[in-house]
Amino acid sequence: MAHAVISCLHANLAALEAVLADIDQQGIDTITCLGDLVGYGPQPNEVVNLVRERQIPTCQGCWDEDIIEGLNACDCSYPSQLAERRGQLAHQWTADQLSEENRAFLASLPMSLWRDRQLFVHGSPNSQHEYLLPDMDAFAALERVESAGAETLFCGHTHRPYVRELRDGSIRVRVRQTPGEPAGVAEAEDRELRLPLRRIINAGSVGEPRHGNTHATYVIHHEDTNAVEIREVPYDVERTCRAIVDAGLPPIFAWRLRHGFEYAERADDASHVCER
Amino acid sequence: MARWALISGLRGDLEAYEAIQADLRHTRRVDTLFVLGDVIGPERECNALLNRLQQPRRGELEPQCLYGWWEDQLLAERGYRGERRADALRLSQGEAAVDALLQAVDPAHMGWLAALQFGFIELDCALLHGSSAAVDDSLEPASSPLLLLDRLTRMDVNRLFTARSGRQFRLELSGGGIQSQVQDLEGQRHQQQGVPPRQVIGIGAGVHYTIYDPGSDRLDFLAAGSRPQQRARGFA
Repeated sequence: MAHAVISCLHANLAALEAVLADIDQQGIDTITCLGDLVGYGPQPNEVVNLVRERQIPTCQGCWDEDIIEGLNACDCSYPSQLAERRGQLAHQWTADQLSEENRAFLASLPMSLWRDRQLFVHGSPNSQHEYLLPDMDAFAALERVESAGAETLFCGHTHRPYVRELRDGSIRVRVRQTPGEPAGVAEAEDRELRLPLRRIINAGSVGEPRHGNTHATYVIHHEDTNAVEIREVPYDVERTCRAIVDAGLPPIFAWRLRHGFEYAERADDASHVCER
Repeated sequence: MARWALISGLRGDLEAYEAIQADLRHTRRVDTLFVLGDVIGPERECNALLNRLQQPRRGELEPQCLYGWWEDQLLAERGYRGERRADALRLSQGEAAVDALLQAVDPAHMGWLAALQFGFIELDCALLHGSSAAVDDSLEPASSPLLLLDRLTRMDVNRLFTARSGRQFRLELSGGGIQSQVQDLEGQRHQQQGVPPRQVIGIGAGVHYTIYDPGSDRLDFLAAGSRPQQRARGFA
């Protein structure tokens, strides 16, 4: 059986329609969405409506959370004050546009979804705002999966699709402590932890790709072989760009979609712990 | 290079603090005193200790203080943590403990407590009450090495001094590694990463404190007022 995982739709209806058509064409009827249905893009209600119509199991993204709870992300979310002002403008515009029904839907979304030992989150198991980038410290990446009790972690948020396998890991430690401490660990003890094989699968972004191409991205997981396919789907970028400009959103959002790389709002400090 | 003294978990015990200060007067080359939180607690009135920390006596080392779990609970209950209240304390020890904590600290100290920081970075060391993840994160010798390495990585330091467990220990990451393979739209790449030589150090609580010499990396786990019956344990 194969299932598709999509993320970071960002109110881009043309991209979502194209991705769903691609999934349908392959006969896949199990889809999971990792959130960020809204934000930046010009069709928040249309995108939320389509996800609801298709009854796609969805977890809450950072944009979905902020629309419900108010914009309270710490300054890690934006690399500059200019970018932050644009983000705030998009937040306000989206909040004004979103219907009460769709706002209630976003509020109802869970932080995570489970299927067997597969965990689905937006950013990381710790936070919707944490970036798990493909080249982040391998032990820290493994810790995110292992501490959550998962074998495979599906995430989004970075807008860059990847599959990362972490294997053959071990950590040796030497512990020394004072006499008279509670028993359990000797005064000087060496021990070794063998680390399990774990995978992180990032679904990329449907509505705001940042992988160097304008195509929407998502992943297909073939459960019988455990193979993962990263899919690129072309869509009508100009249709979304025109809608962005017509809606009065910052034209740089359209420029980014045309170039396929989000220079303006890239945040890449994976070790940052959001203090929000 | 001068040495550091690290203490925590006084929980209002001025006598313990004075015993440590007396010890430090006889310990040469200690120039910095770090107090890694939990200076307050519900067991006793804490105002005398709080006054002393803010107004050291002549000849005493001036303490550099962080907030710990008990300060965090009090600050939450007094409305300094947004919507959050002392729910963790309430859940673990009941309403009476919350009331006792409120009674133990004069509200006049709240401004000083609210200004305390989460952690210090000194040289290549992080000085924290719990860990880089949270003030209530209790790191112990038996904690998962993967978790300990993560807590070190988050602050990009070689040594993490922690107080939350109340125990004195030195845990060294001494070896190991991991294979990583990433496949993305640009192709596939492999990476071998080793375990960096880093340490997590538990500094103790109450009269049990730690002296650290950054120049030699020597640690001494001490108990104030108990020498010479209980000798210090030094690990270089």
